[in-house]
Amino acid sequence: MKILPPTLRDKKRYLAFELICEHEITREDFLREMFLCVGSLIGDVGSSECGIRLLTFEDSKGIIRCAHTKTELTRAAVTTITHISGKRVLVHILGVSGTIAGATEKYLEGIEVFTL
Amino acid sequence: MVKPKFYDLNVHSIPDGKNTPQQMAALAKHLGYTGIAITNHSSTESKPTGFESNGFETFRGIEIVSNNPSKLHGLIGKYRQNVDVLTIHGGNESINRAAVENRNVDILAHLPTPKDSGLNHILAKSASANNVAIEFNLDFIFKGHGGRRVHTLSHFRKNVEIARKFDVPMILTSNAVSYFDLRAPREMIALAGLFGMEKNEAISAISTVPAGIIAGNRPKPGFIREGVEEIVEKVDIVNTSEDISESEEAGWSN
Repeated sequence: MKILPPTLRDKKRYLAFELICEHEITREDFLREMFLCVGSLIGDVGSSECGIRLLTFEDSKGIIRCAHTKTELTRAAVTTITHISGKRVLVHILGVSGTIAGATEKYLEGIEVFTL
Repeated sequence: MVKPKFYDLNVHSIPDGKNTPQQMAALAKHLGYTGIAITNHSSTESKPTGFESNGFETFRGIEIVSNNPSKLHGLIGKYRQNVDVLTIHGGNESINRAAVENRNVDILAHLPTPKDSGLNHILAKSASANNVAIEFNLDFIFKGHGGRRVHTLSHFRKNVEIARKFDVPMILTSNAVSYFDLRAPREMIALAGLFGMEKNEAISAISTVPAGIIAGNRPKPGFIREGVEEIVEKVDIVNTSEDISESEEAGWSN
């Protein structure tokens, strides 16, 4: 199928975040908990409007994509993640950018995750 | 635009919480706060502590818990002189009322009673007149789930509406008992948006309102009472005797 022309594509925002935790968390566990928490706060309809998707996640740092008009709602929804596989965690959004490259360069490269 | 300074004025440490004030301060600083207040419950008899390190300040606070309004006024008198932030743990009609009617109270927390949102037009008028801030403790929203969270959100929405109408100061706090309960200022503002708080209201509820509370409780050196202040002229070290007599005459200003 032909890809949409740029004017018709959904505009996105990329949220760079760090996950403050005492134990290593896998991508699968984080993803499961994220959709559970977001779903519980804003529901399936709200989640689909936000268009939340986890892009990269490694070394307790990652990028979440969302619709550009829903950054505040996404931010609120993501901060409701309190436990992952029974362990306490804290999601700290480092910054918001319009491109993946921007988010990575500005907020993720060379950043040390806070250790407790 | 100048970047606002953010404060979280309801944080619990050992013995109420799990972590030391130093650990809470270290994480709060990392998240972008300028200061936090350690407000342990008066029932645990912990002594209010405060310290400052590298531009990050931890304020002395207390969260007074009582079921009896007359005992509450006694406890307020007991702690007032020793703390920068005096919070009342509400949640009961008579305590909420007693708290907003006392000028020495800074913040009324946990308003919602089992029956309603805990704030009405009468309480709001008193709170506005006595400058008692209404607290929205966001831990209910990011930690809670199900019916309890739904009720909290609707209570908060109602309280924002009333507070806005009567010009009651609003304040956002995390009510953290562990460092995993802290949230960065931007996240707090986003969470406040869930119950209808405007972005500029949320920003002042986490920056200028708490800063005003701290400043109001830390009088400047020449402070005598509201509106009366002693202004001391700078004294020249060489001619000390003469200058002191002059500065005494310089006296009082309104």
